[in-house]
Amino acid sequence: MRRRMVAVFLAPALILYLGFVVLPALQAFYLSFFQTSGFKDQEKWVGFGNYVQLAGDPVFWLAVTHMLLILLVGGVAVFGFAFLFTMLINSGLWGKKLFRALIFMPNIIAMVGLSTFWSFVFMPRYGLLTNFFKSLGLDSLASVAWTAPEHVFWAMLVGVVWIFAGFFTILILAGADKIPTDMFDAARIEGASNRQMFRLITVPMIWDVIVITLVLWVIEAIKMMEYPYAFGGPNIDQNLYTPAIYLFIMGFGQRDPVYQLGYATAIGVAMFVFTIVAVLIVSGVSRRERVEF
Amino acid sequence: MRASLMAASPKKLLAYLILGAWSGLSVFLVIWVIMASLKNTRGLFGQPWSLPTSPVFENYVKAWVSNRFEHYFLNSFLVVSCSVVALLLVAVPAAYVLSRGQFKGRKTLLNFFIFGMGVPIPLLFIPLVVLTTELGIVDTLVGLGIVYVSIALPFTIYVLQGFFSSLPSELESAAIIDGCSDWQVFWHVMLPLAAPGAATVAILNFVALWNEYQISLVLINSPENRTLSLGIYSLITSMQYSGGNWPGLFAGVTIVMVPTVALYIFLSERMISGITMGGVK
Repeated sequence: MRRRMVAVFLAPALILYLGFVVLPALQAFYLSFFQTSGFKDQEKWVGFGNYVQLAGDPVFWLAVTHMLLILLVGGVAVFGFAFLFTMLINSGLWGKKLFRALIFMPNIIAMVGLSTFWSFVFMPRYGLLTNFFKSLGLDSLASVAWTAPEHVFWAMLVGVVWIFAGFFTILILAGADKIPTDMFDAARIEGASNRQMFRLITVPMIWDVIVITLVLWVIEAIKMMEYPYAFGGPNIDQNLYTPAIYLFIMGFGQRDPVYQLGYATAIGVAMFVFTIVAVLIVSGVSRRERVEF
Repeated sequence: MRASLMAASPKKLLAYLILGAWSGLSVFLVIWVIMASLKNTRGLFGQPWSLPTSPVFENYVKAWVSNRFEHYFLNSFLVVSCSVVALLLVAVPAAYVLSRGQFKGRKTLLNFFIFGMGVPIPLLFIPLVVLTTELGIVDTLVGLGIVYVSIALPFTIYVLQGFFSSLPSELESAAIIDGCSDWQVFWHVMLPLAAPGAATVAILNFVALWNEYQISLVLINSPENRTLSLGIYSLITSMQYSGGNWPGLFAGVTIVMVPTVALYIFLSERMISGITMGGVK
């Protein structure tokens, strides 16, 4: 392959990627050292000022707490379901492809649509959940206000888990399908149960896939915005803030413009740092616990 | 043997129950949303579980005309289709060179592109607004499309290069021995073989961009430039003033949902294999 072809084939992708992803990312680091509302003449160098302010901002830490809850509590639920579904689907059931397709399906529907549906499910008084409990005569459960400040985050998390469990099921399932079947046959002859085979064959054999899915989850969880933001509606409750939502509100305002562009980008940089640290932790931990065959 | 069968069947039943319930929820959502979009507000709140007694199609007329969803639909269709075509034109050659080319730094450059998958998009919100404002393409569908293509590049190149790498190198060598030029090898040999992979990433990106709203929320200000997802989001935001026209909202959700669900009914296997091809190798 000649040099010129390499250059011509790469140039458009490289220009777009550098111009609209890499350059803006670098610019974000630069911008985070300024106090600015977007007009050049008002830019004021503040050094690490935005980060100092961020460190003492309770709303930011609230958002970070939510991020960690999504990452860890949501993560345990997402992967718990994904492994359960993988195990069940592979236990020799009829309709494997149908189950897989339906479990993944939420991922092809617009987030705004999913969050609208779940908002109606959790709606106070008239919501589907309240209605459901009422019809069962469970009045104490029917009177719970699922969108009240103390519950709304968990109501939101239900939708997130529902969506991402499907996403990671298909990835883990695809990994499990690559394992040679004679390993399972041999184990079955030896009298291994489904659970034993899953723990002792499937998990070690697809460890690489598990690590990739964990990395993907970390990336998704830290940048999460679309679902909780739409779930929160017009006057979004602070109990639903994620760092990305707080960034958006500081940068563009909910309804009243805030335009703290420097401060908002500092939140973005913090998210980027969280992502890198979390990915390093995941790959570090997973390397140590790796089972060698 | 018989004992183990007997023991296994309640377990199997439980497996069907769990998987059936979870899968059923997806089906339920789609059907319930469509039902809800055909009710009036009183019907929706009074009997949320029942079928609509007399379908109210006005919800759609209202969404399509007064809420300008016709406009948003066209915007979405235009910007998403053009973005996907442009994305293929840009990403297929790049992925080809990055997987089959022999030059120094190929692997580094490939990783440099893949690294982009880890960049949180919200980090780019403000710099992208600044940049597109300077270029004069903020709040335009062209600007939105350019950003869509750029942001979709890392995932697309990742999946496509995996696809190109899986093609046997003998084909390439044979074509070169037969006297094909570099360009001819690409155009006549590799591209036709990669067409299914390209089609798969095209579908995946179509769905992803059709559904996204965070980038358009940041870049698009004018109501006439809204995409469908953004249109629904603005309908959600306006709900508190309009007193909550939920059936109208669900009509909007149906409009955004039907195209991707329809695609999925026909192409689910292909879409799932495309995603797992990217994530699991």
